[in-house]
Amino acid sequence: MKTKYVHDFKVLELRIKEDSVNPHTIYFKEHSVRDHTKDQPSGRTLFILNVPPYADEKGIANAFSNAGIIESVQFSTKPNAAVAVLNQFIKEILNPSFKMCYLVFKKVSDLDKALTLSELNPMNSNGHHISVGLKKWTKEYNDSVLMPKDLKSYIDTYMKNYDENVAKALDKDKNLEQEDDEGWITVTKKGKVNSFARTEKVENKILAKEEKKRGRKELKNFYTFQIRESKMKHIVALRQKFEEDKCKIAQIKQSRRFKPF
Amino acid sequence: MVKRDCKLSISENEAETNINENGKRRIDDPKKEGKKRIKNLYRQPTAKELNRLQETENLFNSNLFRLQIDEVLQEVKVKEKTDKRFIEWFTNLKTHLLTIADDEQEYILSEKTLAKHLKVKLPISPKLSKTKAIFKFFKFHDIDIVGSYALNNSINSKLIVDVLITVPACTYTKNDSINYRYHQKRAAYLAYIASHLRSSDLIEDLKYSYSDSISKPFLILKPSGKLGNSLSVKIDLCCEEDAYKLHRFSPSRNNLRDAWYFGGEDTSDVGTPTPYYNCSVLADLTAKLNHEFLTQTLKNCENLKQAIVLLKIWARQRGLRVNGYILSMLVSYLVQLKRINNIMSSYQIVRNVWIYLKTSDWDTNGVTLNKLEGSPQLEEFAGTFPVVFLDKTGFYNICWNMDKGTYNSLRRESSLAVDMLDNPKLNSFIPLFMVTLDPLMQFEYILRFKNLNTIKELVYQKVSKDNKLNYGIDDLSLIITSLHSLMSKGLQDRVHLILPLVEANFSWPVKMALDKAQHDFKEKLSFGFVMNPENALNLVDRGPPANLPEAEQFRLFWGDKSELRRFQDGSITEACVWSASSVAQRRTISSQIVDYLLNLKYGIAQSELCHVCDDLGSVTSLRGAGGVAGEELSLKVVQTFDTLRRDLRGLTQLPLDVTAVYGTSPVFSYCDPVPPAAATSAPDPTCWRRASTCLIKESNDRPVLPEYTPVNEAVIELSHSGKWPGEINAFRCLKAAFHLQIAERLNKQYGLVTQAYPQHLDVMKDGLVFRLRVFHPKEVTLMKRQVDGGVVKIRETQESEDFQWSSVELPRIRGALHALHQKYPSYGPAACLLKRWLSCQLLSPPHVPDSAAELLAAAVFLQPAPLQPPVTPTTAFLRILKMLVEKDWKNDVLVLDFNDELSCEDLFELEKSAKAEGGEECGLRIVTSLGRAGRGLCGRVLRRLVRVAAAALALVRDRVEGEGDVMGVFVPSYRGFDALIHVHGSLVPHQAERLDALPRVPRPREPCDVIPVVDLHPLRRYLHELRNAYGEWAVFFHDEYGGDVIAVLWDPRVHDTRELQVNSASALKPVMVDGEMKYRVNLDALLEDFRVMGEGLVRDVVVNC
Repeated sequence: MKTKYVHDFKVLELRIKEDSVNPHTIYFKEHSVRDHTKDQPSGRTLFILNVPPYADEKGIANAFSNAGIIESVQFSTKPNAAVAVLNQFIKEILNPSFKMCYLVFKKVSDLDKALTLSELNPMNSNGHHISVGLKKWTKEYNDSVLMPKDLKSYIDTYMKNYDENVAKALDKDKNLEQEDDEGWITVTKKGKVNSFARTEKVENKILAKEEKKRGRKELKNFYTFQIRESKMKHIVALRQKFEEDKCKIAQIKQSRRFKPF
Repeated sequence: MVKRDCKLSISENEAETNINENGKRRIDDPKKEGKKRIKNLYRQPTAKELNRLQETENLFNSNLFRLQIDEVLQEVKVKEKTDKRFIEWFTNLKTHLLTIADDEQEYILSEKTLAKHLKVKLPISPKLSKTKAIFKFFKFHDIDIVGSYALNNSINSKLIVDVLITVPACTYTKNDSINYRYHQKRAAYLAYIASHLRSSDLIEDLKYSYSDSISKPFLILKPSGKLGNSLSVKIDLCCEEDAYKLHRFSPSRNNLRDAWYFGGEDTSDVGTPTPYYNCSVLADLTAKLNHEFLTQTLKNCENLKQAIVLLKIWARQRGLRVNGYILSMLVSYLVQLKRINNIMSSYQIVRNVWIYLKTSDWDTNGVTLNKLEGSPQLEEFAGTFPVVFLDKTGFYNICWNMDKGTYNSLRRESSLAVDMLDNPKLNSFIPLFMVTLDPLMQFEYILRFKNLNTIKELVYQKVSKDNKLNYGIDDLSLIITSLHSLMSKGLQDRVHLILPLVEANFSWPVKMALDKAQHDFKEKLSFGFVMNPENALNLVDRGPPANLPEAEQFRLFWGDKSELRRFQDGSITEACVWSASSVAQRRTISSQIVDYLLNLKYGIAQSELCHVCDDLGSVTSLRGAGGVAGEELSLKVVQTFDTLRRDLRGLTQLPLDVTAVYGTSPVFSYCDPVPPAAATSAPDPTCWRRASTCLIKESNDRPVLPEYTPVNEAVIELSHSGKWPGEINAFRCLKAAFHLQIAERLNKQYGLVTQAYPQHLDVMKDGLVFRLRVFHPKEVTLMKRQVDGGVVKIRETQESEDFQWSSVELPRIRGALHALHQKYPSYGPAACLLKRWLSCQLLSPPHVPDSAAELLAAAVFLQPAPLQPPVTPTTAFLRILKMLVEKDWKNDVLVLDFNDELSCEDLFELEKSAKAEGGEECGLRIVTSLGRAGRGLCGRVLRRLVRVAAAALALVRDRVEGEGDVMGVFVPSYRGFDALIHVHGSLVPHQAERLDALPRVPRPREPCDVIPVVDLHPLRRYLHELRNAYGEWAVFFHDEYGGDVIAVLWDPRVHDTRELQVNSASALKPVMVDGEMKYRVNLDALLEDFRVMGEGLVRDVVVNC
């Protein structure tokens, strides 16, 4: 197979099976950014583009198994996306789509080796078979059915965790209210000093109240010019309605709706 | 996926226009305009303007209405150019006509001498030519333009100018009034004129024609030159008033002798009165006088004329066989009564006319324009004509040719029109004047006669001699009257209206004899029925108690069908019982009755009749369940759900009580074309079991799945509590705990089989599986919550919107739709029909979401104007199609007001905001009084939908006209797609419901103690994954109900070459173009992906070249 370089990406075909006829082309290079995170260490991480929707971690690992030992495989839909918040009660099911991949090798030399590969192994090798189609749906269905006691214990542990966390946060707040070394006291929601909740709703309410106060101070129907103006306003309203209707008519006219026959 | 693409393209366009150099001007323009407008708005008002503004408030319905009236009047006005041309042409014609000379020769009309002399045929039926009459041509002197053109209230389209030639009285002798001799001479006179005109180069085309009565032909000419395109001229004859004394034609007089008509002995017996025949002569005698009266009344009365024009438009749009002459006379009559005058606005006049018509009773009492003594009494007419409206002389019945059905229809339409005007929420102008009603939408049931001539003969044999004599040679009128009275007696209160639909007007060249011309032309007669939803489905027609004398009559009328029956209330009466086993069959009972009666009374065989009546009703019956109607299965689900709801409310030992349970699945509003049937059990051999739910056995050899079992989804609301946690995950955890507990209690308390999941719980009751979900509004708020710079903000996200839709708005709309079905029982089946049709056209969800289809169906029930809500599903379905085709979706928003709870201002606001939200490229927009209406349709889908709807309507119309299978509307077409994905038929749910599948008997049901594998729809999963992963490049189409093919259409942009970027490298492959490295979408790989993703399900992927 011919190996091509595009920009600084290396181009190779990624097959799912040994006998795949029309495989997708993947593009990869060494992952190099200014700040490397812990899971994507500098020098050992391969950045891969255009990974097909059905590919899984094991499959990608299989594909690069000739290069060396692989430490981890991470998928992401956007480059440098922050890792999703963990500890969700209901695990989100990701819909399959094209994605990017960060492949971390055990050794730096393996990465160099990967960049010189001329062919990738098929993803379904080493006894691995990517779960797709009917098999996948069947498995997902079967996994979703839980024994009641399993569900119960899952809920219980989760709630216990949550309660502990809440209690901890409360404690922390309380501690903040204590005078610190330099004599400062942090004011919190829970403390003795009442502060309003900082939400959008509350802010809007306060603004509306101010507006109303200002409005009450004004006299609306006192001076002659005000009365004159209110009369004029009535005519203007009528006119405005008329104009609007005229616009509507023009619109209908344009669509030739006035030909009855 | 389609939607996303659409949005993309919009934003691109916008971006482009903004960047463009004229972007600057664009920003400036509206400001300038705005300033100018404000100045205009605040300018000093002139007296005229103030007047107009106030006038509109008082005299017209609304500003909009007035403007629309002005527009339409402008539109139908005869063009000045045409006017000028016509006057010029007419002067020439007049001079030409007046060159005609007296003819001293006498012709005997029973021979062909005249025709030979004139070289044109006489426009008279051969039945009449047996009479001997001597005809001599005397020159006429008066040629007048009469009718609408003379009165200046004509309509631009299909304009016919009436020209009246007055035949000198000396043409007719004293005895000519009897036995059609008058008509014979009249025809001869007309032929004489025709012969004179034939050579004129003023005329392009010259034909005979008749409209009301075959005995009274007239000439239709098409002026030569450009004028011929805009109008035609009708030359009619009338007679000098002094030819006959009017009282010779009083309704009680006989002018058609028995002996002459039936043949036989010439006795001196005068015979029974012939008012119908009399009127045909009277029409000519009184024509001039009445025209003068009209001219007098309408002189200088612009508003009256405008009102007449409006009325004419209105009548024509409704296909009412009421001509402008009658309408003008009616307006004059109301002027005479002082109910209207010229000071009123045209709107007020029209309104008053409608109000008058609504309450009129011309069929029982009759009215007259005559105020003088000496004319026959009104009562004399009332007995002899179906509708009575006498002219200025008091002898001539203007409505002599109107049948009762037409009058009833006129009255009904008037009352509907008044209702529409009174409805402040409706812009009634469009439905009143702009919408053309076609019989297919108007009538639930149309009866068509295949061969009218055989029917004529059969009926003619049975009608009484007096009637035959009265109607003379106008047998069509006779037949309409007889059939109408028979059917209205037979159907009684099952129908609101029976309207005869006649296509009998025809014209023929002057050189052709009438009988020859008639040979090629087929008169068409059909009857349209508007059903009364309250009684149309009755199985039994109850007659009078057996001991009354009326019982005898009842028996006589109904024949063998009538039988003595004892009813539950203890009464013993005569009754007719009709057979129907399902609701769908009950909708066609009326056709059964008509069949029976026509056969009984006139011996008309069933094969002669063609019923167009709920033809598509059979689509909603379920083939997989042995042909049971879908409604019945839905009803079962709803009933089971009601008991489950009661069970849930009765649950004890829960921390919070269940306060309400709302269903959300379509089946709860009878809108599911394939409602779930109770699960057939005996544990499936392909299943394992965990807890109380079946698992799927994985098999390696052959892909097998248990039968598809849908779930019926519902939302549970719990009583109020402030203790729900303020963190989304903890909240959901607690919700899961509730699911677990409710499942446990249901099992303990009622012994129901349940299974809890974190997000919902499944309950099985009576073999049906319900999926319940606890909902609390706080969850929506938590989903919307965002913390931005220390301030908590509530922001909608796609996720929160979807969640709110499915948990808050959908249950409400579902409830409203359920109520709608209760009110109009054909709503559910109609929605099912629409959904099946959409699916057959491969526009199943998500292209047209379920909710959108249901609301579209609801629209024809909630906004039926100008009609009444439909009674049969087929009519409803056709009206939906028509609405889709005709509504101007670019400017209009579909606002559905359930329970009439919106005020006018609300409606206006809703419409405005929906318009603003959608932007330009948006397709169909729906809003409801219950909040948002889910997703609408994007422009692309809408355009496709409108096109297929138009094609479907055309096909159905063809079917009504002639033959052809109406089911063709439901045949999907897979042509024109780029690729087809074939899947294993055995894995497709609802395979048995395909329209080409044969009904099969379901397996017997057994009680079971385990929830089957539910809601595992492999095709839906597959499509979902495909659309998610490949929606950027392709659109996928599929028939939800048993289709085993998925059609794929590439986005046109996939063939473009593009650059490689980190953010958009998906599915690209490098290609060399002109020695440069470019990228293109790897279509082959995508096709292979389709196969990979659907492993086990996909049989084959075929690429269309």
